[in-house]
Amino acid sequence: MGIGDIWNLIAMQPVMNTLIVLTSYLFNNFGVAIIVLTLAVNGIIFPLTMKQVRASKAMQDLQPKIAELQKKYAKEKDKLAKEQMRLFKESGVSPAGCLLPMLVQMPIWIALFQSIMRVLAVIPENLVGLSGFLYSWPIVYTTLPLENHFLWLNLATGDVFLALLVGGTMWVQQKMVMAPATDPSKQSQSTMMLWMMPIMFAWLTMTFPSGLAIFWVTSNIFRIGLQYFIGGWGGLVKSETKKPVGRDRKYKERIAQVEELPSGGADIVVPSSTQEEGSSDEESGDKRPDSGGGYTKSLRATRRQPRKGRSHRRKRG
Amino acid sequence: MRIRKNTVVIGKVSLLVVLLLVGLTVLGCYGTKTSPEGGSGGVVADGTLFLAPSVKQAGGGFGCTPAAVDSKLVALSAADGTRFWEIPLEGSSSGGGFGCAPAATPAAIYGSPAVAGELVYVGGYNGKIYAINASSGVLRWVYPREGSLEPIIGGVIVALDRVYFGCSDGKVYALDAATGDIQQGFPFTTGGKIWATPAVSGDTLYIGCFDKKLYAFNAVNGTKQWEYLAEGAIVSTPLVYNDTVYIGSFDRNFYALDAASGRLKWQFPAEKWFWTKAVVYNGTIYAGCFDGKVYALGAENGQELAAVDLGSAIYSWPVLVDGRVIVATEKGEIYAIDAASNQETLLADIEEAIYAPLSAEGGVIYIYSQEQNLYALNADSGANLWNLTIK
Repeated sequence: MGIGDIWNLIAMQPVMNTLIVLTSYLFNNFGVAIIVLTLAVNGIIFPLTMKQVRASKAMQDLQPKIAELQKKYAKEKDKLAKEQMRLFKESGVSPAGCLLPMLVQMPIWIALFQSIMRVLAVIPENLVGLSGFLYSWPIVYTTLPLENHFLWLNLATGDVFLALLVGGTMWVQQKMVMAPATDPSKQSQSTMMLWMMPIMFAWLTMTFPSGLAIFWVTSNIFRIGLQYFIGGWGGLVKSETKKPVGRDRKYKERIAQVEELPSGGADIVVPSSTQEEGSSDEESGDKRPDSGGGYTKSLRATRRQPRKGRSHRRKRG
Repeated sequence: MRIRKNTVVIGKVSLLVVLLLVGLTVLGCYGTKTSPEGGSGGVVADGTLFLAPSVKQAGGGFGCTPAAVDSKLVALSAADGTRFWEIPLEGSSSGGGFGCAPAATPAAIYGSPAVAGELVYVGGYNGKIYAINASSGVLRWVYPREGSLEPIIGGVIVALDRVYFGCSDGKVYALDAATGDIQQGFPFTTGGKIWATPAVSGDTLYIGCFDKKLYAFNAVNGTKQWEYLAEGAIVSTPLVYNDTVYIGSFDRNFYALDAASGRLKWQFPAEKWFWTKAVVYNGTIYAGCFDGKVYALGAENGQELAAVDLGSAIYSWPVLVDGRVIVATEKGEIYAIDAASNQETLLADIEEAIYAPLSAEGGVIYIYSQEQNLYALNADSGANLWNLTIK
């Protein structure tokens, strides 16, 4: 049994047959089945997604400090790596926290993506090929071939409106998580990504079957909702008008804590409980010993510059 | 300096985006065919073999986009494969699209051509029916004259001086065989796509549909006589024999229905889909199935006389040659099943996928593979008489 066979057995077949059964129960509507399955898969991997989004958000909050370290240790690579690791450790942020959940989710998305392509089976060759993936359940055999019309869409062909929707939702999602870059080259890189990805995906959507576009739009909307739940509108709203949301306190408190680290050998304040953003932290305050010194004066100076719209900064008591 | 830095940033981002899109496209399209390639079989008349092969254009589009597919009708000597004439069938433009999109509507042909009198008829995925002079290869008429229909997957049949075919738009059309004019009472509208080739017996036309129904209607005026609702879609072609219609379905059942009333006489359950047309010999029905078996069933009562396991799915129509059923499997093996003993013999293994209906004439079997090779095999020994690559 090759890798392809194993992949088909554990990923493709379950997803394809589930899609077909869902279509049967949802009034033979393949479009609704795609939406329901996409939401269901999002629901199942919700904890992973949540972890990833939180970690990304925390990384985003750490960016000014990382930039400062990079500037300071530009010529000392080893020292830079060491300091960055220390920053991550002390702020409780793991770089793997962003990547690992994403790597786990990737096979699920690829299986869903490929399944939609195969189950549509609008030409005889694909329908013949599909027969090799079917479970022997009667409902699967009697549901095929699937009806490929949903609302105004032919799910087998591209659609301009859906392409715009894919591009639009992707832009919103990216804008929400985009970190404000201090470095001009990074700023232009972020801006390019913000526009290029949605435009390219919109273009791609016009040539892919609309069934896939429904999958992308549903996923994007789900993620926008999740992003809002965790960090509010993020980069969508100008800093001055941002409202404090305080939904993701864990990392923020730790990061704020790092911002307030004293120099060489001072104790670090660790919050005893989570608090609403903007509330005073004066009553939180058991202490733990320093693990080896705080940040340098220059870094502290940078960190202590007031940040507009951030009501989460902690004050020293 | 700043300009150079910006250029580097633009380059990096572009590369990242392109890599991501390429990856996405390849992963998404992997294992799926996005452009119809066709799978037409040949038909022999007066020593001439008519075949509608697919012509893959050079070069494809981006990622997994296949090359565009055109088709043509070719007339060959059935004896040695000498080419008499060929005519291109319009329908596509060169080059492919981006992603999984095919270039334009391809003219891939799935159904075998039909010959009647001096004309040969063929219908294509591009939604057009062509009538071509069998001797000269000159186009006589095309339907519709302007524009096109939805894709035509099934083949055409000629009966009662008319050309009948079903279309993906869910309609059954009847055209005047000489002029290509649509006949009164047609098109007949069903409830789903039609990929099946119709069958005519007497003045009744039978055709299966994606809406799980087998329709019987008057072939002259298009009025419906009856319909039978199966549990799965029907893409196979009905076999009419002794006042009974035999048809297989995607619900994995093979049905025998009274030809006059549509009443169910018997049904036989198999393990997978029925796609191909059945053949009958001496009161025994031979039905090939996607489960890799050819079922020999009593025509009267559906009793299973034998289940010949050929090892891979049967998609191609079988043919009868001298009391033997010649069957091709999807993997490219050609078997002869002796109708007296129901024992199979491997005639040949061409090791190429076979979807096209088989045809036979004068003790020779003609097979057109998905690799675009045409084989002429001796029906007794399986010896390769000649073969050609037709692109």
